[in-house]
Amino acid sequence: MIDQIVFYSLALLTVASALAVVLHRNTVHSSLFLGLSLAGVAGIYASLGADFLFGAQIMVYVSGIAVLVMFVVMLLGRASDLHLRQVNERWMAALLVCAVAAVGLFKVARLHAGTVVTAAAKPGTHDIGRLFLGEWLLPFELISLVLLAALLGAVFFTRTEKAS
Amino acid sequence: MIEHAYLIPLIPFAASLIMMFGAKEDPHSPAPWIGIGAMAICLGMSLSILNAVAGGTVPLPYEHNWQWFSFAASIGGKSFLYDMPIGVLIDGPAALTLVVVTLVSLMVQIYSIAYMHEDARYKRYFAFVSFFTASMLGLVVSSNILVGFMSWELMGLSSYLLIGFWFEKDGPTEAQKKAFMTTKLGDSGLYLALLFIFAKVGSFQITQIHQFINQGYMTTTVATVIAIGILFGAMGKSAQFPLFIWLPDAMEGPTPGSALIHAATMVAAGIFVVARLYFVFLAAPDAMLAAAWIGCITAFMAAAMALVSYDIKRVLAFSTVSQLGFMMCALGVGGYTAGLFHLTTHAFFKALLFLGAGSVIHSVHTNDMRLMGGLSKKMPVTFLTMGAAILAIAGIPFTSGYYSKDMILANIYHANQPIFWIMLGTALMTAFYMSRLFILTFWGDDRDHEKHHHAHESPFLMTGPLVLLAFLALVSGFMLDRKGLVYSLLAKPTITAPQAPAAAEAHPAEAKPAEAHPAEAKPAEHAAVAVPVEHAAPATEAPAEAHAAAASHEGGEAEHHEGHLPHWLHLALPFLVLGSIGLAFFLYKGPKYAVADGLKANLAPVFRLLDRRWFLDDAFDLLVVLCDKVAALAFWIDANVVDRVFVDGWGLLMRIVAEVSNLLDALFVDRTVDGFGGLSLDLGVGLRALVKDGQVQEYLMYAAIAFSLAATLILTR
Amino acid sequence: MNAPLTLAHYMTLAGILFLIGIFGALTRRNISGILMSIELMFNAANINLAAFDRFLHPEGVTGQALALFVMTVAAAEIVVGLALLLAIYRGTDTVYAEDFNLLKG
Repeated sequence: MIDQIVFYSLALLTVASALAVVLHRNTVHSSLFLGLSLAGVAGIYASLGADFLFGAQIMVYVSGIAVLVMFVVMLLGRASDLHLRQVNERWMAALLVCAVAAVGLFKVARLHAGTVVTAAAKPGTHDIGRLFLGEWLLPFELISLVLLAALLGAVFFTRTEKAS
Repeated sequence: MIEHAYLIPLIPFAASLIMMFGAKEDPHSPAPWIGIGAMAICLGMSLSILNAVAGGTVPLPYEHNWQWFSFAASIGGKSFLYDMPIGVLIDGPAALTLVVVTLVSLMVQIYSIAYMHEDARYKRYFAFVSFFTASMLGLVVSSNILVGFMSWELMGLSSYLLIGFWFEKDGPTEAQKKAFMTTKLGDSGLYLALLFIFAKVGSFQITQIHQFINQGYMTTTVATVIAIGILFGAMGKSAQFPLFIWLPDAMEGPTPGSALIHAATMVAAGIFVVARLYFVFLAAPDAMLAAAWIGCITAFMAAAMALVSYDIKRVLAFSTVSQLGFMMCALGVGGYTAGLFHLTTHAFFKALLFLGAGSVIHSVHTNDMRLMGGLSKKMPVTFLTMGAAILAIAGIPFTSGYYSKDMILANIYHANQPIFWIMLGTALMTAFYMSRLFILTFWGDDRDHEKHHHAHESPFLMTGPLVLLAFLALVSGFMLDRKGLVYSLLAKPTITAPQAPAAAEAHPAEAKPAEAHPAEAKPAEHAAVAVPVEHAAPATEAPAEAHAAAASHEGGEAEHHEGHLPHWLHLALPFLVLGSIGLAFFLYKGPKYAVADGLKANLAPVFRLLDRRWFLDDAFDLLVVLCDKVAALAFWIDANVVDRVFVDGWGLLMRIVAEVSNLLDALFVDRTVDGFGGLSLDLGVGLRALVKDGQVQEYLMYAAIAFSLAATLILTR
Repeated sequence: MNAPLTLAHYMTLAGILFLIGIFGALTRRNISGILMSIELMFNAANINLAAFDRFLHPEGVTGQALALFVMTVAAAEIVVGLALLLAIYRGTDTVYAEDFNLLKG
């Protein structure tokens, strides 16, 4: 019973804040709700027993990406934005697309309506560490390369040109 | 000790590297003692191995292999994994040869300390000698014929280095090139034989090749091809007709180096390899016959050349060639034991002869025997030791050469009568020319007072080895022949072919009369090569063949029986030899040897023929010129016929085809490509009309529509 | 409410989150809003991965490891995206997607 309460409340939190992210007129508020939604997802991870994923979600998303987005939004924001529509005129078409996609997604989800948990959750951090530094060493190194490239790209794009 | 046999080639090899790269060049360098110490260790190990082998305390053949490399190959759709081990294989002949090689090399090195002491490249010479010996030892111990071939080629290299040691002069450089290229000509045959062996057997292990033949997998034809290839290699290395032309020129090198080449390493290698792969020859009677005849021709021609030469080293070189002919002939007629026995004894007395000749040359500073004479008073030790060697090589009873040569002649006598009579003559010629050398050098009075006056006995470092080798030259034959040691040590390998033992069982009775009355048995033995072969012997040849088979199969007792000439010949032989020596005394005694000169004037054409070495050098020159002409002709044909007609004509044809194809391409293919290009362009322009103003989200929308529709359709199917 | 939690629950939640993300990406005018929506979609995918790991292969951690990879790629994406946004803003003085029509042929 506790499980269900936890799941439904976390799901509600996540979905509601996600809707707020998408629909809120104020972009700064949107970014705050993004942080909340991501925290909700972190809670979902915790309810799934993925301890390391939970920690990573909190550290990377909630305290990293959400804050970064917030900074950028505040950096670019203007007072006049608050009086402009934040949703364009194609929202009906988008809604239609979502409805069509929803049919497929829920069809798949229903296939697993009977799949329940069979084993108790166990801490996975140790195993993830072994996996990354053992069998998956090469992808692990590659992804670090991707991060390095992203870092360099970010520096490159945001560099201010010297007045020539 | 035998389990450390792999160290025997490695120690001198390491020593040579140390001397080559680790020591400073200096006429008084102590570096040579490294090589001598290494060789002494090897000699000790070899002696202990021989002791163990002769005493029967180790099971023979001893083989131990290590993993070297392996490779996979796919042949005809099947994949094979080939193993290439590296290892040692010690049997009786190998153990004996190890002792001979290390002993002679040690003696040569000690002797060289004194002989080479003034040379500018003192330690380099010793490095070469060690390297040479290491290569030979590698060949002797290797269980893998590929490693053996590598050692064989290294030996070719070191002979090249040693012959051309004094490379400032023209003679040595010419000689080294000649030696290298001639032996390479032979090596190509051996190389092809190795390729054949690997293609057929799938292994380079000697024991495995033997097994392969034992199980009867190798047909006579294949065995003959392989054996001829091996024989070709041996002809180059062991200086057999017609490839012996390099050996007389190889005298340009330092004399102790020649002693090494002639006694222990280079020329012994060819005989040794034939003996090592003797089972291939046993399976190929035709190749055996070829070996016998080549040995016979070589022995005769070389001995004839030695009769007329006045250069002391040349005489010895021709004598080596002749003796090698004896060994090859013995192997060819199935006298495995006799051939290897002679290899051993020959190594001792030939090393002694060369070292003695070196001592003489060192003393009188000339190679020309006409300028020597009367040296016996000045150089008593050299005189006496050389005398011992000459007794041995001439075959005076109870010296080493007597036992081995007697055994060879006996083997030939029972196998092939025509060859026997030629070889008997050659043996007498040997006695003659060796006595001639001895008389011209040491006997009588001095011919050149100047040189005689300066002559002196060599230092102890040179005479010491001479004395030891003289002792061995005199008694080694007796030591080995005693109690049939030579038969057990150098036991002939056998191949188990289905018919041969049956033939041996069937006709033992006929075998004895055939031996007792040679004249009667002559027709039967005439054509027979006395080896047990796979195919059934025809009835007429049965006695001889059966006898040989019995000799090789029944073990020691029968072989003793075989190893003797008919009684009258056995007794007559020493007297014939003595007569030959007497003839030499008669012709060449006194300072002027007028009798010999008179003979020479009467037989001028023959002398000229022999002096020019049977015109073989000229024949080879002619061959090279002819090859050159043929190549020039081939080039002309290539340039004027093949190039014009085929290359240029083909080019023209191709150009025409290309032009036609270009036309077709422009007409049809390009049109099609253009059509597709235009189509997609039209499609793009049409689609773009749908999009209003090129916004990101608009594209995203289309993508999302397509994606959601496709995903839903697939998932809800 | 009392029914046990199944994989379908988690997949449904992930699906809803994903659809919200798609809707946002299609309709937000502000580029930073589009980026935020994309983050939501990434998280939907990660929930699925973690749930599959828990329900279908509880003995291993492969799903979690894959989710970590996705997270890393998402971080790289958002960093580059925001950097581009800053660069664009500096050049054109606007953050609205419809103002960019350079793709128009």
